[in-house]
Order: sequence, then structure tokens, then C-alpha cells
Amino acid sequence: MNWIKRLLGRRRLYSDLSEEIQEHLAEKIEELVAGGMSREEATYAARREFGNVTRVKEDTWEVWSFVWLEQFWQDVRVGLRQLRRSPGFTAVAVLTLALGIGVNTAIFSLIDAVMLRRLPVEKPGELFQMQAGDVDEGGGGGSFTTPMWEQLRDHPDVFSSTFAWAGTSFDLAEGGTTRAVDGLWVSGSFFSILGLRPAARRLIADSDDRRGCPAVAALSYGFWREHYGGATSALGSALALGSHPFEVIGVAPPGFFGLEVGGKFDVAAPICAKAIVDGEKPRLDNVHVFWLNTAGRINPKLSRAQLTTRLGVLATRLLVPPNASPEEREALMKIPLRLTPVATGVSGLRGKFSQLLEILMAVVGVVLLIACANLASLALARAAARRKEIAVRQALGASRTRLIRQLLTECALLSFLGALLGVLLARWTAALLLHIISKQENTVFFLDLSLNTRILGFVLAIATLTSLLMGLLPALRSTRVSLISATRGNQSSEAGHLGFRGRQWIVGSQVALSLVLLVAAGLLLRSFVKLVRLDIGFDRNNVLLVETDMKAAEVQPDRLMATYEEIESRLKALPGVLSVGRSEITPISGALLEFGEVQSDWLKLSTSLRAPAHLEDPEAPVYGNWISPGYIPTLRIPLLAGRNFTRADLATSSGLAIINQTFSRRFFPHLNPVGKIFRMNGMPGEKAFEVVGLIEDSKYYSLREGAQAIALLPVNQLPDVPGLFGLHEKLELRTAIPPSALVAPIRAAVRGVSRAIPLQFDTLAEQVNRSLFKERMLALLSGFLGALALLLAMVGLYGTLSYLVTQRQAEFGIRMALGATRRSILGLVMRDLIAVLAGGLAAGILISLAATRVLQQMLFGLGPRDTTTMLLAAGVLSAVALIAGYLPARRATKADPMVALRHE
Amino acid sequence: MRKPDRRDLFPGALEMMILRTLRRQPMHGYALVQHIKRTSDDLLQIEEGSLYPALQRLLKEGLVKAEWRISSTNRRVRTYQLTPAGIKHLNQEVSNFERMLEGVTRVLAGGEA
Repeated sequence: MNWIKRLLGRRRLYSDLSEEIQEHLAEKIEELVAGGMSREEATYAARREFGNVTRVKEDTWEVWSFVWLEQFWQDVRVGLRQLRRSPGFTAVAVLTLALGIGVNTAIFSLIDAVMLRRLPVEKPGELFQMQAGDVDEGGGGGSFTTPMWEQLRDHPDVFSSTFAWAGTSFDLAEGGTTRAVDGLWVSGSFFSILGLRPAARRLIADSDDRRGCPAVAALSYGFWREHYGGATSALGSALALGSHPFEVIGVAPPGFFGLEVGGKFDVAAPICAKAIVDGEKPRLDNVHVFWLNTAGRINPKLSRAQLTTRLGVLATRLLVPPNASPEEREALMKIPLRLTPVATGVSGLRGKFSQLLEILMAVVGVVLLIACANLASLALARAAARRKEIAVRQALGASRTRLIRQLLTECALLSFLGALLGVLLARWTAALLLHIISKQENTVFFLDLSLNTRILGFVLAIATLTSLLMGLLPALRSTRVSLISATRGNQSSEAGHLGFRGRQWIVGSQVALSLVLLVAAGLLLRSFVKLVRLDIGFDRNNVLLVETDMKAAEVQPDRLMATYEEIESRLKALPGVLSVGRSEITPISGALLEFGEVQSDWLKLSTSLRAPAHLEDPEAPVYGNWISPGYIPTLRIPLLAGRNFTRADLATSSGLAIINQTFSRRFFPHLNPVGKIFRMNGMPGEKAFEVVGLIEDSKYYSLREGAQAIALLPVNQLPDVPGLFGLHEKLELRTAIPPSALVAPIRAAVRGVSRAIPLQFDTLAEQVNRSLFKERMLALLSGFLGALALLLAMVGLYGTLSYLVTQRQAEFGIRMALGATRRSILGLVMRDLIAVLAGGLAAGILISLAATRVLQQMLFGLGPRDTTTMLLAAGVLSAVALIAGYLPARRATKADPMVALRHE
Repeated sequence: MRKPDRRDLFPGALEMMILRTLRRQPMHGYALVQHIKRTSDDLLQIEEGSLYPALQRLLKEGLVKAEWRISSTNRRVRTYQLTPAGIKHLNQEVSNFERMLEGVTRVLAGGEA
């Protein structure tokens, strides 16, 4: 490259130029001397004629394009020197920026990992997942049975190639203790279609995935390193999965953690090997177990319209079994097939946390802005102190742009130092946040948080932005000084006031931004408190939940009822247990049971009588639960009319139900429901149910739900669908002693019934609490960040007013000498403060009104424009601001007229 | 501070004059300035220093080349010389300039009439 040659030859160029100018001047002087001038005079004259030598040199150098590089390097060196000279300022600035940039980067890297990162597979953009039926918010659900998958595999139709997978948990069972690892059932085509090459030996191939296949397994790279230390001897060895030996055939490439964001796999095995693990009743031929996810590459020859038609045909072929009855066929035909892109992985995490992360990103962004404002304010003060230096430089011929560039370089240095530290901090913060989330959710989330170009780009962008934000205004202002006023050393002149006006803007915007954060934090906090204090209709305290697993214990269906009864009665006898109930699901657990369409004769009769208020949503589904007689008293749900179930009810087969107020209002308007009959579709035999009791409304699925129509049925009436109900019933224990003390006695009591029943413990209070995880996280973090913003704004305000007071010390002295009272001086300073505060508050309220709408979904019991919260936030901010401002203002009143006058 | 741009010359004028002067014979910087000043009868106020950035621009564009020589007064001087590209450029610039001048003159004459 030509310019590299020039860059290297630049010393030569510069020395040539210097010599040339030197010779030019010498020749001129000689000529003038020859013309009769004295040498001294001639020297001056020659210089005068020539102009500013340095300037000419610089202008000449600028002709060559590398000059900016040189100047940049100069600026960096000057900047570093300046920063070293004021270590206090540098430390504060770098630390502030490191924190600000670090937290921003942390949240961004979580967003990146959860939402943006593409799978490290071949052409991820071509991959689509196929799902049938309803898909939940996280993109889960919509899986297929093995026969369905096999049909799709053999006739891929809209896909050019397909694969299937399912997440699972394998028990490595080392030395008697269970050790669960994350497993993956994969089709033979899984790795090859994703274009993954083995890190060692080979991966699962089509030939491994045949009915009756041998037990083979591929390891993830991480698991190979962790479990085997990356030893090649692992290959070909046997790995026990659920006590069945699997041959390790190879290792997947590093960086591939599976398709699910938030999860990882340790061991992958072919789908056919499920038969080996399942034993007697393999899932492979079961047409009722939907467990496989399917995806593939779309046939590129298909147009969009063709794709839609083909999907419709495929849906019928896949979902409707040939022996389906006409009604079944009709129902099944309605289920659509959907294609969703898999480029960034599939994730239940995404739907759950994307909103949380987006709100957090906005909040930490605003905190960074406020921090920048503080630094700009500091930089402005520094610039004011350097007025003399800057004025002299300008007088010596430095151009304004050059000076601005130099001052900005200084800020950029600070920003990039901060960013460097921030990136280190970010890794740590992101890991901490992930840990908190994992802990709260009771699952271990795995996210790939390694640095990539997108994160680095983000850091670069915010570092640049922060240096501009903190540096531009001070640089523009401080380079607009006149030499005379600067060198006169008159600090209280107009320049000082100019500096103040700049800072007024900065502090005003800080106040505005802080108010926005405070309002947001206030809204989230108040929503959270409202949710926590909400009357949920049952007593969540001192209730221990015990979840059973009869499937693992292999209890025969006809023995289930008796086993549960036995356990319930044994637990009741434990000391410290006040009462015991059991049910299919527990409230606010994230599970729900939807019942069929309800019909009551009374409903038809009295439609005209119904008050409009009860007409909320006539189509709203009815939910419910199957409970034992102990359930209602244990949860302390108030019984309003009728009676609770009794042991005797469990012995009869006639339909009984306890309903809540909403159910009663909806289906028995204006009537006493006790003794009335209703029918429910969808239940086996379209049974009639007699209402025996009426209970108060209580929360069922989520604290945010409105009134739900709930019907509680006795446990003995669980529908007889094998493998679907009754295998994981929960026991509720109201305890008089701390629940943790009961864990061991309960285990012992259950072991007395059956050795093999695994138990999981939880408390109702914690379960309810966990449902508020997002709200708690947001309330906590936004509260903390709001307080931080408040503190930053106060420091800014205090600094600015202190600066103003120092600037005007002499003026105040004179005023006092002329008879101004302390009060009037105080008023003078506070007037400035109040002007800034009022402006900032007004702007902040306007921004809040526009911006808090994004919080809508996270709020509860108040709107995004809640007046109380706004007033509260403005009040807190004003109070703190006035205190922060009062301190320097009081100092102003202590101005000694004599000192001030002497200074003048 | 203002930039000391006292030259009321249009952009490129100084470069044109330098090229024209160099076409007669190769010269060093000082001689160039003196020549331009003299031939213009001191009508053009040129700051001597402003010559060097202009010379550097011409060097960069390859219109002139420079080498160190010993002058008649026995000084080490850096002498500038026109390149073929410089000659071509000069011809083009001069004809452009003449056309512009003609246009301006016509308008000025018309305005007087």
C-alpha cells in the first residue's frame, strides 16, 4: 500500500520540510541583511512575512492522510498524561463507567444468549420446528408420538430432511447415589442434518436409530471434559444410563449444547434405545404419548402458498389416525400444524424472560445515562479549571476542532478503560443474575455467555456513546473562551456562569431521567406489594406440600387409591401435623385442570335474570381439581354453604361437587346452589354432579387471574385414563412446627407404605412466592437501580450548586456588604435550584407518561399512569434534591464580605 | 483565532501559479515565492508560508517532484520540477480558468452597460 510507505517515510518528509523552511528563512534574512537591515530586524521581518511556522508545518503535514493518525496518537498521549495528573477524577470516572457499562453489557449478554444467538449449526436459518396444536407462551408443547414421527421421517413432505429430539434426564447411578445428567433422545438424522462434526470418533447416525438397536450414546464436549477429563479411553467404554450400559461412541463438537436455549445436554442416545430404558412398556409404539419434537430443513422448491396447502394435507395425514370416529376426525382436523424458525434455538426461557430482560435493559440504560451526566458535569468543572490552558493553546494557533478532538479523546480514553473493566464485571454480573434466576425457578439454566462479536460491538457502541455524552458539551463549551477573560484570572466572570448554564442542563436532564426511573420502580414495587398482600382466598402459611411419584414406584392402577389413603392417614398421625389433604394439583403451581362445558338447567331458565356483571365471559372455561375431604380445611378455604366432602363420599360413585362463588353466580344465578345438579361434557359418561357445598373464591392458577369458575370433585372420581391422572398426587399438610422438621418423619412414614415412592417437598408459601418471581426480580432490581439513580442525581446537583456558590462567592460577599440578608442570599441560590428541579420534574413526568406504558403487563392493581406513584416519586425526588441543594446554599450565606472584597 | 487566510484567491489559484512558474524552470520554494510576488507586482498578498502546504498537495498528487540540489548561491535547496502529469493538469486548469474568467468578465461588462 502506498500510504503505508508514506507512513513509514514520514520522518524523512518532516525533516525535509523543516530544513526547507529553515533554508527559506535563512535566504530571506540574508537578502534583507544584504538590503541594509540589521540581522535582528531581518529575522523578525522574515518570520513575519512567512507566517506561523508551526502552523505551516502542521498544515503541510495535514496534506498527507496519515496525519489524523498521528494527531490521534498525540491526543492519546496527552490524554493519558492529563488523566494521570488527576488520579481522583480518573478513578471515579473509570469506576462509574465500568459499573455502568458492565451492568449494561451483562444484561445485553443475557439478551444475546436468550434471544439473539444463532445455533452453532449449519445454515440455522433454514431450520423450522413443526408443532401441532396449541403452543404455550414459551414455545413448548406441540410434540408428536413416535409413530407420527416415523411417518414424517419416511415421508418428509414439506421438509427436505427431518429430525426429532426430546429432552430427558438420565441417571448415571454411580456408587449407589443418583446422579442426574441432562439427556437427549435424538433421531439418527439429528447430527448429520445439523451439520455437526464429531470432536472425537463419531456421532449418532441413521444406522444407530433402528428398532431394536444396540445401546449407544454420544457425549457433549463439556461432559466429556468434565466427566472423563477428555480422555480418549472414554470412547468405546460403557456408561450406565438408568442402570443400562450404553456404549460411548463419540463426542459432539464444543460449542453445541443442544437446541434448547437455557438447557444443555450431557449425553445423547438414539430414539430407538428408549425401548431399552423403558423396559416393559416402551413409548415407541404408544399412540397416546406425545414426546418428540420435530424439525427439519424446508424444501426450498416450495413456494409459501404451496407450503400452506401441503401443511394442511400433512396435518390430516399425521394427526388423524385411520380408525378415528367421525367426531374424532372432525376434532382432529381442526388442529393446525405450525412451523416456527429454530435459527436461535427453541426455548421456554425466551417467552418467560424476554420481557423481564428488555425492561431491565431499558432501566440500566437510563442509569448509564444518568452516570454519564454526572461525569459530563465533572468534566465541565475540569474544563473550567483548564480555561487558561485552553485559551493559551488557542492563542498559539490550535484550531477549535483540534482542541475539541483532544478533549473528546480524553473522554474516549476514560470510556474505553471503563469498558474494559466493565466487560470483566459483566461476565460476573450475568453469571450472578443467571444463578439467581436458576435458584428462584428451581431449575439449573445453562446459557452460553461467551463473548461474541455482537456483544463486543455493543460494548464498543456504548463506550463511544458514553464518551460523546460526557465529553461533547464540555468540549464545545470550554473551547469557546476568550483569551483575555481567561488569562485575567477572573473566575467569577461570564465564563463561569456559562459553565453553570451547561451544568444546569445536565442536572435538569438527570432529574428528569431519575424521575422516570423512580416512577417505574414505584409502579413495579407497588404492584409487587399489592400482589403479595392480595387476599388469595386460602391460608398459604405453614402448609407443607409433598409431591408423590407413583409412576416411578410402579404402583399398579388398582392399588393407587388405597396407597394414597394409607399415606394420608399415616401422615395425619405424625406429631406436629394439624391436618392433611390431598389433591391432583395444588393452587398457584403453574398447573391447571380444565373441565368440559358445563350445563345447568337453571342456567337455561334464568338467562334473562342474570345481571350483566356476571356475564364476564360466557365462553370462559371451567377449571377444577380432584380433592380429598382434608383439602378444604387444610388450606382453610371458607365454606359458605352446604358441606365438605366426607370419607363416606369417597365410597360412592355418584357425582358430587363443591363449587366456588363464581361458578355459582355463572351457572346458578340468584339461587342457592346447594343440592342443585349440573352436567359436564368431556367427563367420562357425561356425568351429572350434585352440588354439596359452596366455597369462597380463591386463586387457582395465578395471582393475577380474575374470578374463575372452579369445581372441586372428590378424588375417587378421577377419570380412568391410564398414565394421565392420579400418578403424582400432592399432599398438603398444615403443620404446627417448622415444615423442615417434618421432612424426615414424613419420609419414614411413607417408606412404611412403600419403599419406592420418591417424594418432593415444598411449602405453599414458597410456591406462591415463586409465582411472583418476575415481579419480585423487577421490583428489587428497579428499586435498587432507582435508588442508585437518585443518589447519582443528588451528587450531580450537589456538585453543581457547590460550583455555582464558589463561583459567585465574591458576588455574595458584595451583596452582603451592601446589606443583603442571609435569607435573601439563600433564596437566590435556592431559586436556581428550584428552577432546575421544576424543569427536570416536568420533563420527567412527560417522559414517564409516554414511557411507562411498556410496563403495563407487569403491573397489577394500578395503571402505568398511576397518579399516586408519580406524585410519590416526584415528592421523594424533590425532598432529596432540596436537601442536596441546601447544603451548598447555606455555605453561600456564610460568605465573608471582607474575604470576598480582598480577593477582588 | 481566525485562520490566517488572507489570500483572496479562489481555491486552486496558488497551485496554478506554482505550476505555471515551474513550467518555465525548476525552482526551490523561496525562489518560487519571490517570483510570484515579483511578477504580480506585489498585487497578490501571499503569506510565504502558505506556499508549502500547496507544494505538498502537488507533490502528493504527483504533479511536481522534488529533489535536493545545490543552488547558484551555494545553498542546499529543495528544487521542485513539473512532471508530465503536472503539465497536463496545468493546461487543463488554465483553460478552465480562462473560460471562467471570460464568463465573469462578460457578466461584469454587461452589468456596466
